[in-house]
Amino acid sequence: MISMRCMIALVLLSPALAFGQSGAVEEEKVSNDNPARPLQMPPATTEVKEALDDFERFQRRGAWERALKALYSITEDQARRFVDGDAGFIVPVAQKRRQVLTGLPPEGQAAYRLFYDAEAAKLLAEAEGPAELANLERIYSAYFTTSIGDDAADRLGDLYFEMGRFDRAADCWLSILRDRPDTNLSPATIALKSALALARAGRRSEFAQVRADLVDRYKDDVTTIGGRTAAPAALLRQILEDDPAVGVLVETADPAPGTVDAPLDLGRPIEPDWQLRLAESIEAGMTPVELNQWRSTMISAAKPAVTIEGSTLYANYMGLIFAVDLNSGKLRWRSDAFHHLKAAASQQNGMAAGPGRFAILASGESVWTVTRDVKSQNYMATFHLECRRADDGEVVWKSTDLTDYARFDPNGPPLLNGDVLYVPAKAQPNPQESQPLPQQVVLAIQPHDGKLIWTTEVGVFRQGQQRYYYYNMVDTSPQPRLLLRAGSLYVDTHVGILARLDADGGGLDWGYGYKTAAPQSQMHFSSYNRVQQPQAVAGPPIEIGDALLIKGAQSSRLNAIDPNRMTTLWERTVSKDSRILSADDGTLFLGGQELAALELEARGLSWATRLPGGSLEGEVLVRPDGVFQLTPRGVFELDPGSGDVRRIFRGEDLGSGGGDLLLTDDRLLTVSNRAVTAYPRGAAGAEASTTPMEKVSR
Amino acid sequence: MTATSALASASARDRRAPSFATALVVLVVSALPGSARAQFFESSQSSTPPNIEGLTVVGKATIGAKPDFAEVELDVSASAELTGDAIVKFRDSKKRVHDAFAALKLADVVVEERGLLVDQKGAMVNPYYMMDYSQNARTKTEVQLSRKLVVRASKLAAMDEEAVLQLVGRLLDVAQDAGAHVGPSADMNMYYYRYGMQPTTGLVRFVLEDYEKIQEQAYEQAVADARRRAERLARLSGLELGPVVAIHEIVHSAATPVPTPNDEVPRKRLETTKFQEIPVRVELQLRFAIHPRADGESKGPAQ
Repeated sequence: MISMRCMIALVLLSPALAFGQSGAVEEEKVSNDNPARPLQMPPATTEVKEALDDFERFQRRGAWERALKALYSITEDQARRFVDGDAGFIVPVAQKRRQVLTGLPPEGQAAYRLFYDAEAAKLLAEAEGPAELANLERIYSAYFTTSIGDDAADRLGDLYFEMGRFDRAADCWLSILRDRPDTNLSPATIALKSALALARAGRRSEFAQVRADLVDRYKDDVTTIGGRTAAPAALLRQILEDDPAVGVLVETADPAPGTVDAPLDLGRPIEPDWQLRLAESIEAGMTPVELNQWRSTMISAAKPAVTIEGSTLYANYMGLIFAVDLNSGKLRWRSDAFHHLKAAASQQNGMAAGPGRFAILASGESVWTVTRDVKSQNYMATFHLECRRADDGEVVWKSTDLTDYARFDPNGPPLLNGDVLYVPAKAQPNPQESQPLPQQVVLAIQPHDGKLIWTTEVGVFRQGQQRYYYYNMVDTSPQPRLLLRAGSLYVDTHVGILARLDADGGGLDWGYGYKTAAPQSQMHFSSYNRVQQPQAVAGPPIEIGDALLIKGAQSSRLNAIDPNRMTTLWERTVSKDSRILSADDGTLFLGGQELAALELEARGLSWATRLPGGSLEGEVLVRPDGVFQLTPRGVFELDPGSGDVRRIFRGEDLGSGGGDLLLTDDRLLTVSNRAVTAYPRGAAGAEASTTPMEKVSR
Repeated sequence: MTATSALASASARDRRAPSFATALVVLVVSALPGSARAQFFESSQSSTPPNIEGLTVVGKATIGAKPDFAEVELDVSASAELTGDAIVKFRDSKKRVHDAFAALKLADVVVEERGLLVDQKGAMVNPYYMMDYSQNARTKTEVQLSRKLVVRASKLAAMDEEAVLQLVGRLLDVAQDAGAHVGPSADMNMYYYRYGMQPTTGLVRFVLEDYEKIQEQAYEQAVADARRRAERLARLSGLELGPVVAIHEIVHSAATPVPTPNDEVPRKRLETTKFQEIPVRVELQLRFAIHPRADGESKGPAQ
């Protein structure tokens, strides 16, 4: 009887068990130590975490000596490793230590100063000459709450300001204002210095807040800076008036009327100025069988990565680099014949190179590319960097010739800032050096000779190298994207971490962990009937005022953070396959299966328009007068307010897979897998550009 | 004995013998599918009548008719983790399709809506394992709203081929420009491959509806055809044809009215993917009674 009951119970419960399986997906916890997350920032050791726990425990008991001893058992090398901070931020141990010390109650503070004032004073006394910066940084990091901590922070702020590292200078002075109410320094002067640093760093909202304090709280004070003495608010106004460029950075008003872009009118018959037919060049002479074979390959669907410098368009077409004169459409030079891609397409190893990883950047006399040889017989061949002369395409240097790059596989578009080229890269595992897993790094390079300036590890991947054994196994891992703002380099790894680096020295300031999907399995055993979920291309973080907006390629969350105050402003669930296009006038434009608009204040979806081929990739022009996207059925113009399709400009590139739209002063360029086409723009207009303080890797 | 009564009697008969009861239950449970199947079992011999007296002949008739409708089937769907977002996307998507066809201002073109499907995105057979038919448990719940829209263009019978081409071309262009999915769903490819199904390739189907009158004519012609054949055979056999004693309609798949899925308006219709006359076929098997001729001239087969 028992067995029968068991059987009946089993029969009755079996559907419940089945349902139970589908509901077993656990919400991911954003922690640097969560093994389910794909990337881990350089973690502190268990001893460090135990030391922080000990500090908390002893502090609660009022055992200050033991608490502080536990905290100072953390070695200096561990102080630069990372632990979980607040609100999803992953912070260096040094920052965490400073945070807990500033939070000490008065009795703990007194004990702390009793134990560590002497040590800090000694360091400050020795902060002269070459040791000045290092000692001040050490005091700021480890002894900020001692009696001399505020003096050291003030001096460090001065040093950073002189070095042009305004972001860090502002942080030093702001920390005095916020965390050292007992300081004997003039708060008005410190506030004025903060305001100047914030202005130069372009941190608008914080600047406005400090300026309001100067006008209100410190109105009766008199400050002397740079030989001028006046009320701090008046002094700030004078200094900003003397340097209008800085004043512009903190103004929130719209750009001057002269820079407003002329409308893009596609409602008239437009014949192209010229067209470079890539596909026809490759397909010429193919038999129907060959043509069918070619068109079924991934390479035939790939569009070139392009960039415009002056009057030349430079393109990286699956490793084939070429330059086109924008005025005439004539090919200036190319690194190889287009039809050679046909041979590459017939080899399976060529398939593993995802077309999205080919990138190009041009400036002045040089062109830099992230590329690989698709004809290489090596399935696991890495990408490399190449620098070419812009006028003839001659190779100046390439990373495969430089030993420094032996471990690195560039995995994202580069970003140029003056004399430094930043490139995200994946460092290959090195078991001999106890590094069994690949790392995500950022390289800073001298653009003219390829010499490495610094390398910073952002994190370690929790899964090994992807391998591609079978037909159509394309590398679909998302690419890290870079954003340079106010002396800081932001890296969205697109695998759950946005990291901030010091653009000068490469120091890793912090990371922000956002929820993301679990990593794919390491190896694919078979491509049999694989159903690919659509995935949007990885986009760079975008700025909305002082906030940064991020959306990981594998994440179903949109996160807005204040990187300066290190707070999460808001978070919203969106489709995993969506991507950020642009933000304008309180509206956020999203790509994905649909082109959509999200109202930023209410964070509600205003409209969504599905276009032929979707909006998962390709450069979309988002302008006040319209949203424009190149689709397989022409250029679609949408009303930014309603999403209604206003117009379809068929153009001369129908039947392509869609692609990028680029706008110059006098031309509209469409770049697809079949052709590069230039249409006259009609009315002249200034090209929409990024602000001087912002650079984004494309 | 039903399954329930078997279970009841088995459990009442011997409570001390659980193994016997269990065995009986297993037996009954395992027999259930078989008995269920038996209820729907149909003899495959229905087309061959038993050898009975009379003269049996087949009469056929085919009448072609031009399709009077063209239909383009569109899929409008939207998915999002937030159901509110999915609703906005779906609503906009549907509206844009309706607006696009309304802008054509064609009186003979209407967009019909089929049932709304509220589903879970990613609720599909796990493709990574050939024999794993379980659902992908790792997929997060993403609500998917989808609806089939059918664009119907009428009065095709009066059009020539060029006009039909122009019309159908416009419909397809407008549908695709409006972002609607035309043609079979990509999600079904795996099933087509795995189960050897043939995907539907036609983007447009041409439909003949309400063909009662034509069918009536076809029946008349088929009966007349059968009678002619029977008379000939009777005459050659020296027999006299009696009245019809049995009729059996032979159903061919080509002429089968398309069964309508639950979400469609039931209609009697014939469909084709090609713009051509759609044949209305009727095939009847008639059995006539026979008698020896009254004048005694029956030849009959040699005994």
